[in-house]
Amino acid sequence: MSTALRQGWEALQDSLIFLPPFPDQLDPLVLFSLLLVGGLIVGETLFRTLGLSRIVGYVLAGAISGPGALGWLDRETIALAKPLADTALGLLLMETGRHLDLRWLSANRGLLVSAAAESALAFLTIFIFALLAVGLSPGWSAATAAITMASAPAVVLLTAEENRAQGQVTQRTLLLTAISCALSFVVFAVVLGLLHAEQAGDWLNAIAHPLWVVGGGILIGLLCARLALIIAGRQARGSVARVFVLVSTALMAIGMARMLAVPVFLTLFMMGAALNLADRDRTLAYTGLPQGHWILAILLFVVTGAMLPLGELDWTTGVQALGLILMRGLAKFVGVVSTGRHDLPLDKRRLVGIGIQPLSATAIFMAAELAALYPEVSSQPLLLPLIAAAMMEFVGPQLCKRALQRAGETEPTRPEPAR
Amino acid sequence: MSDLSQLSFSSSRPLTLGVELELQLVSLRDYDLTRAATDLLAGLRYDDRFGEVKLEITESMIEVNSRPRLDATAIAADLDGLRDVLVTHCRLNNIAVCGGGTHPFHRWPERRISPGERFAFLNNRYGYLSKQFTVFGQHIHIGVTSGDDAIWLTHALNQYVPHFVALSASSPFIDATDTGFDSARLNAVSAFPLSGQSPDVADWAAFLDHMALLQACGVAESIKDLYWDVRPKPEYGTVELRICDTPLTIDRAVELAAFAQCLARHLLRTRPPIAPASQALVARYNKFQASRYGFGATLADPIRRRRVPIGDALRELIDSLTADADDLGCRKQLEQLRALVISERNDSAWLREIARNTGNLNDLTRMAAERFASPSSYRPNV
Repeated sequence: MSTALRQGWEALQDSLIFLPPFPDQLDPLVLFSLLLVGGLIVGETLFRTLGLSRIVGYVLAGAISGPGALGWLDRETIALAKPLADTALGLLLMETGRHLDLRWLSANRGLLVSAAAESALAFLTIFIFALLAVGLSPGWSAATAAITMASAPAVVLLTAEENRAQGQVTQRTLLLTAISCALSFVVFAVVLGLLHAEQAGDWLNAIAHPLWVVGGGILIGLLCARLALIIAGRQARGSVARVFVLVSTALMAIGMARMLAVPVFLTLFMMGAALNLADRDRTLAYTGLPQGHWILAILLFVVTGAMLPLGELDWTTGVQALGLILMRGLAKFVGVVSTGRHDLPLDKRRLVGIGIQPLSATAIFMAAELAALYPEVSSQPLLLPLIAAAMMEFVGPQLCKRALQRAGETEPTRPEPAR
Repeated sequence: MSDLSQLSFSSSRPLTLGVELELQLVSLRDYDLTRAATDLLAGLRYDDRFGEVKLEITESMIEVNSRPRLDATAIAADLDGLRDVLVTHCRLNNIAVCGGGTHPFHRWPERRISPGERFAFLNNRYGYLSKQFTVFGQHIHIGVTSGDDAIWLTHALNQYVPHFVALSASSPFIDATDTGFDSARLNAVSAFPLSGQSPDVADWAAFLDHMALLQACGVAESIKDLYWDVRPKPEYGTVELRICDTPLTIDRAVELAAFAQCLARHLLRTRPPIAPASQALVARYNKFQASRYGFGATLADPIRRRRVPIGDALRELIDSLTADADDLGCRKQLEQLRALVISERNDSAWLREIARNTGNLNDLTRMAAERFASPSSYRPNV
């Protein structure tokens, strides 16, 4: 069919001189549109028919279209959409960084204890599970733990936004997610060094690479945050110009991170945290992302779905990934429930413990960073966290949504009685 | 449902004071109202020593009630203690508590009705008005010995409703707009069918007849259904002034309570002739004047058939209460109100000035929350 079309096109070119060469690749805008519409249709259908989180639908659309299933999106096409997905993830991570509220942590030390407990327990449990039960090397076990210990910031943020959730379970889920992200990024940088040492005995890179990643991320993040504050400070308060400044400096940070091979998620998280901490005059404190960021988020989850290695799923890895998810989930739940009992009732702590379960896009992007380092040896050990992330892509958003609903913090789905 | 015609009035010590404040719960991220009341109450470690902390109609509101007290100083101790408890616990939840009669920029459809049968009933009865009722008032209770005294004092206080409005006004902004009113909150209250002035009944027996009529017609099932500016509160043995905006500071709340106590004492002591029917003719106009113009209002005097600038009326009134203030130990609070009248800078003026200076309503609300968090100067040993 495609060959016949090409031949016909090329035949026409002889007489119609304005015709361009036969388009071998989709234009990025066409791709963008297809991913968006496909994701939207599946997301909305699942939401309306089964009441599932829309995010599940977006991921499902990507997974079905991806190389692991129907193959409509091949690896080249996914690579083409990667800058857009990076942008989406970057903006959401910036928002997550802005939720890293040190003033709240200083006023409520119990939260710091909860955050440390759930992250430390999650890391240790996953590391031990990967090392002893799965039999990975210490380096890859640490990598698995670094990738999967954190909650999924994009899922938690969008679930809270989608359901207009407000309350302590929502706020604490967002804060713990931000802290676990920050800690996982630190562990991730250390793991980079460990892998260089373990895989190649390359001590120079073992030291220099983590420094490059962390230093680069912090530097770009701080610079772009400072730039955003300076320029926005010259615009009228409450003006749309400030929104443009926020978005454009974030795009600059994303671009610079990509240019210098520094992880986008880390850089934008740092930028968000810097915006939150350095904004003494509250220049951008009340400036949010435009509603359009939902469009990019849909794209992110469709691409993430397509990146899931569903074609490589076998029984052994599936059972191992299930074990990892259960151990991780239990560790995070126990970490939250066993701490912070002085200012949040047990039933609410339980719901926070469920709300922080999602695991997805960031983990998959972290795995991609590691895979790029040692592609020849990384595919097998990285399969475990990727399959775990794949499973949680479909369960995590739903768990988070249920937790916020059970807490009574989401907008009522049915109109309240009013006559 | 109790029989309102049999309602008994619990006698209380004359001139005892009680104050209720409805307060805003705002997010520290953007200073918008947020759903926070049930979480705050669930985590509250507090033994009720200063009075109660209660839910209000929507989840972005919290109500504090002082204990019944003899004087304004004791009220200051209670209210400041409650303020301290709330400020401390709000910090743990990353929210702030704030005074003011309205939130300057919240969107009422986003409000959530608080859990509870009473709130569900109100939401069912009043529809969207119940969410729009996310406005914040100060109620002042004054103890009286009998139902007859309560009815008389209710009528006597009615003519001073505009004075309380001008002194307490703190709600110039609604829906991110300067309404031009000093107390725009009152417009939200006036939408309710049972708001306004109490009926012209002569005594407690006549009041019970009136209540029986309302009950028989299905208009009201309890005193709580009546949103009158001043109403008797038989179960507390008080007359309740419900007209004030919640001020931005505890100090102003205490001053208003002291003013109410002095005025009630003066009225009960001197028993001036009252004319509820005549006053009713101009009550809505006078209340509008005060809520619209604050200290710039001109009041209609139906007895002398003339117009009186509210500033002059207030200065004269406060001067006439000096002896009562001395006896009640609240001269300082009354002097502050006198200075306020002369300066014509009520809380609405402060809010407008800060909004002009900051250029945005988020920072305005932040500064209002910081203002509310400061300790009261009237608290004993401060």
